Amino acid sequence: MEIEKMSFEEALKKLEEIVKELEGESIQLEESIEKFELGVKLSSHCLSKLNEAERKIEELTRSEEGKLIVKELKMDE
Amino acid sequence: MVYLGCFSLMDNLKNQNIHIYSVSELNFEIKKNLEAGFSSIWVEGEVSNCYCHNNRHVYFDLKDENSKMRIVMFHEINKNLLFKIENGLHLILYGYVSVYEKRGEYQFIALDAKPVGRGALLLAFEQLRAKLEKQGYFDLSRKKPLPVFPKKIGAVTSTGGAVIRDMISILSRRFENFNLIIRNVNVQGPSSEEEICSAIDDLCECGVDVIIIARGGGSLEDLWAFNTESVAQKVYRCSIPVISAVGHETDYTICDFVADFRAATPSVAAQVVIIDKAEVTENIKSKLNRIKLMVENKVNSSTKEYYFLTERKIFTRPKSIILDFWQGFDGITMRLREVTGKLINNKTVQVSNMQQFINKRKILDKIVLNRSFINNIVIRLFSAVRGKLKAVKNNVIVTLKDLQSNSPAAVLEKGFALVLDEEEKNVIKSISDIQVGQNININLKDGILLSKILNKINKKLGLEV
Repeated sequence: MEIEKMSFEEALKKLEEIVKELEGESIQLEESIEKFELGVKLSSHCLSKLNEAERKIEELTRSEEGKLIVKELKMDE
Repeated sequence: MVYLGCFSLMDNLKNQNIHIYSVSELNFEIKKNLEAGFSSIWVEGEVSNCYCHNNRHVYFDLKDENSKMRIVMFHEINKNLLFKIENGLHLILYGYVSVYEKRGEYQFIALDAKPVGRGALLLAFEQLRAKLEKQGYFDLSRKKPLPVFPKKIGAVTSTGGAVIRDMISILSRRFENFNLIIRNVNVQGPSSEEEICSAIDDLCECGVDVIIIARGGGSLEDLWAFNTESVAQKVYRCSIPVISAVGHETDYTICDFVADFRAATPSVAAQVVIIDKAEVTENIKSKLNRIKLMVENKVNSSTKEYYFLTERKIFTRPKSIILDFWQGFDGITMRLREVTGKLINNKTVQVSNMQQFINKRKILDKIVLNRSFINNIVIRLFSAVRGKLKAVKNNVIVTLKDLQSNSPAAVLEKGFALVLDEEEKNVIKSISDIQVGQNININLKDGILLSKILNKINKKLGLEV
């Protein structure tokens, strides 16, 4: 699966797998370098996913015609 | 006589101006008096023989130690009752006594019921909890896992209360760029049940990743909407994970039991619904460092291994390895020879031992075999010889008889002659046995003719010789 298309959860899970694989004794040098490169990409993907969203607080209502309406909700913290 | 007697009694009573009731009339009067006398009363007892037809009117007996009576609660009353009337419940009923004239029976018409010893709400709560538990609404196996990092969080709550403020502040602390969509509902009051149900539907429709149902603490009555069957069903059937955060830590609602996750309070819900960004960022970075370190170690150890390998004999003095190999080979060959020699000797001795053993046995076996074979032959021989002897004996007898008939004397008797030479040594059988001029003795049956050969005639040629 392409890393770009992975969800945060998928990428994080894959990253954890890579850590485990690299901890294993049997891995070969070449493979471990490949895994490392994949791990770097996954972690940067995870970090970008965490930051890509925009803070939003909205209220959901229904119009009289029964349509869903989403509007921003101002809230003082 | 009987008829006469009756008629005379009737006449008698009528004459005395005494009123005689018809059955209908009497029942009517009883109904009037009873219903007037017991029109608005409370009665206490235990429910038994409870029967509810098509989920409408409920019929049951109310009893104490010594007595019981029939009770009816009509559908309009029953449907508004929070709890369900069941056998064994201890109730106080409000209502009136009514007579069913057609049958002359009376019953109590219940207009309200209150459980004794505990509140109606608590009873209703326990009844619904037992029912839903039986139907598998609380099974752990069907609870959905919460997403680690929901992009869109839905909340069913009141936008007016402190609850939502607390949640927003916790969410901001954990993940400042969170995305929250709130469906404002009345969290108590008559409309709340329906509002909560449709709020869950609406949030599902607008595609949230998780739904939090939140409300602050309150009495059982305040929290009642969250203990209704319709809300329980909505949560049960919701395809999106639901976190129930109703009331304080000590408050439990049916909604809590059905939800995929029960948060003790709305604040706890805000904590579990999303990861702590700083924490996760730190975690990812440490993972990255860890794999970096591990690969570095791997490269280092591989480099060491490489040097270690390149310093080995095969690369530095390859010839010595071949010499070593030859030396080893020679050693092995010698050892092999030694071992095989010994082995062959051992085997040879074993083989000769075996041979001796086998020969002796074979001979013994043969002797036994032959002995019986010989015995057999001897027996056969004896019987054969015996047979042969018999045959010979017979032959001899025949021959003797033959001889007797063919003896020279008998032949001479028939007129044949026996020709001998002069010396009477040789029988003259052919003309070539004798020469012309020689003497011969011709023996006849009664004497000898001393004769001389005058001539010889060959039978075939018919010539003189």
